[in-house]
Amino acid sequence: MSTMEGAKTSIASRITGRLVGVLAIAAFAVYAVVSVFPFVTMISGSLKTNTEVLTNPWPIPVNPTFDTLVDTWNALDFPTLLVNSLIIAGLSCLLILVIFPLAGYAFAVLEFPFKRVLFAIFVGALFVPGVTVLLPIVILDQQLGLLGTPWAVVLPIVNGAAPIAIILLRAYFSSVPFELHEAAVLDGCSPFGIYWRIYFPLSRSALITVTVLNFVAAWNEYVLPALTNDDASRYPLPVGLQALLSSNVVQWNQVMAASLLIVVPIIVLFVVLQRYFINGLQGSVKG
Amino acid sequence: MSGSRSLLTSAGTSAPRRRASSRRLGGRFTGLLFVAPAAALFAVFGVYTIVYGFLLSFARWNGFSPNWTWTGIQNYLDLLGANPPLASSVRVAAQNTLVVMIVLPIAVSAIGLVLAVMLNSVRRFRALLRTVYFLPYVTTGIAVFYAWRFVYEPNGSLNAILSALGLTSLVQREGFLGNPFTSLAAVLFVLIWANVPIAMLLYLTGLQTIPESVVEAARVDGASSVRTLRSVILPLLNPITALVVIIQLREALQNFQVFLLMTNGGPVDSTQVLGLRTYQLAFLDRTTDLGYASALGWMLAAVAIILAIVNLRILRSRQ
Repeated sequence: MSTMEGAKTSIASRITGRLVGVLAIAAFAVYAVVSVFPFVTMISGSLKTNTEVLTNPWPIPVNPTFDTLVDTWNALDFPTLLVNSLIIAGLSCLLILVIFPLAGYAFAVLEFPFKRVLFAIFVGALFVPGVTVLLPIVILDQQLGLLGTPWAVVLPIVNGAAPIAIILLRAYFSSVPFELHEAAVLDGCSPFGIYWRIYFPLSRSALITVTVLNFVAAWNEYVLPALTNDDASRYPLPVGLQALLSSNVVQWNQVMAASLLIVVPIIVLFVVLQRYFINGLQGSVKG
Repeated sequence: MSGSRSLLTSAGTSAPRRRASSRRLGGRFTGLLFVAPAAALFAVFGVYTIVYGFLLSFARWNGFSPNWTWTGIQNYLDLLGANPPLASSVRVAAQNTLVVMIVLPIAVSAIGLVLAVMLNSVRRFRALLRTVYFLPYVTTGIAVFYAWRFVYEPNGSLNAILSALGLTSLVQREGFLGNPFTSLAAVLFVLIWANVPIAMLLYLTGLQTIPESVVEAARVDGASSVRTLRSVILPLLNPITALVVIIQLREALQNFQVFLLMTNGGPVDSTQVLGLRTYQLAFLDRTTDLGYASALGWMLAAVAIILAIVNLRILRSRQ
């Protein structure tokens, strides 16, 4: 980048440019290390024995072992936790993808009574802290007989996703050229037909963005399942991980191994879908 | 600048052309059908819980007895001072929350802006660096909180790095989360780490909407890069900064999980915040009254809503 202005400028400023370039590269590298530091910590911790994790704070294990990962997998009954987490995250994303694109489309394209009020309510809900309604939600789950089922976690998560999902999808649908809409109307397409055949397929980036954001939120949700469920066979991954840390003698190598197992699916999901995910986020801001 | 307008304008402001055409579409109520599923869910899990919690904040209830005892605004008065032990714990939590509300938006927007400007000026590795820098945002949760806890342990890697660098005076024998003087900063660092990526991405988006010609014109006029950044680029990014600040204030007020899972408020209340105190009153302090949890939750909500309105006003007036 220092070569861009290079040729015409004096040697002095070229040296300054070099220096700035070197400093910039150093800053890039330092922040990259900070960004991935917890993941490095998880990988190195999960490759150490319990003795080594207490004595060797450096990332490279002296005697790397896969025993820790295997032990943790068995101690946690990992497949059960994984299935429970997949149920919660899968159901949440499915419901979110059915419900909120419809609403986002209506707010972006259609005219109907109470449109502004309803939209304002959904946006306003963004600023009611989750912890403020947490107790009533747990009581409601109990009244509806949902305690112990995935729905006790899924329905509040889906409802909590409403503001951001609706704002994002409305913004994205608003950017679809209106000529497409008019052409479809002239061809005799119904409102639902226009939504399903034109808007839904065109908004792949926004839909993926909403899905990734909420999959991660549901995958990481610790508080709701811990409060609505006391049957260990129905715990999702975060509650299982928490149980590992609350034992009397914390085995940090196992905690790191379990953390790694929780984080890897998210990282894979993000890396695979990131092109759509980031475009969707940026598109909704650019409008 | 179009920056964040599409996120923040209300729904009714679409072009008149659009209105005319959509009227030809089905009935006036078709839109309501599309919104119905979201509205129905919100009526149950949103409206009901909000009303329930709001009413409970004016009552006394132990969670088991069939009836609430209405006490008016007594819960609020107790939290604000009428019940000294309770009020003092709230005051400590409020002070820490204020620190988070000040530090988080400033740190996140400053670091996010610097990273975005740097990323915007490189070609090579841009995609790779963006992925690496964005990872904290998508992975943040219990697993990374525990990884940071391990880093902060007395025999963790942060102490090891500090002693290797010869900074032995900074080494924390009881760990960074065990010392009341470093614990809040240590948790705050994790919050900043988790939130910088979204600010970076928003700024990067903003930078890409600034026409090359504007920056070029400043350069031709002889402005240095720092000067161009300060006098030309930063003012154009104001709407983005406002958006980043709104998101971070919301995060500062609402995110209690990071405190719950890293310190649970300790040691000696040094990381106690209002969201966590609300959670503890509702689910951990079994002896107290659930009305207190609701009242504190609504005081928190009031602050969040007032700040959001002020922010949106400022943002609108600038456009």
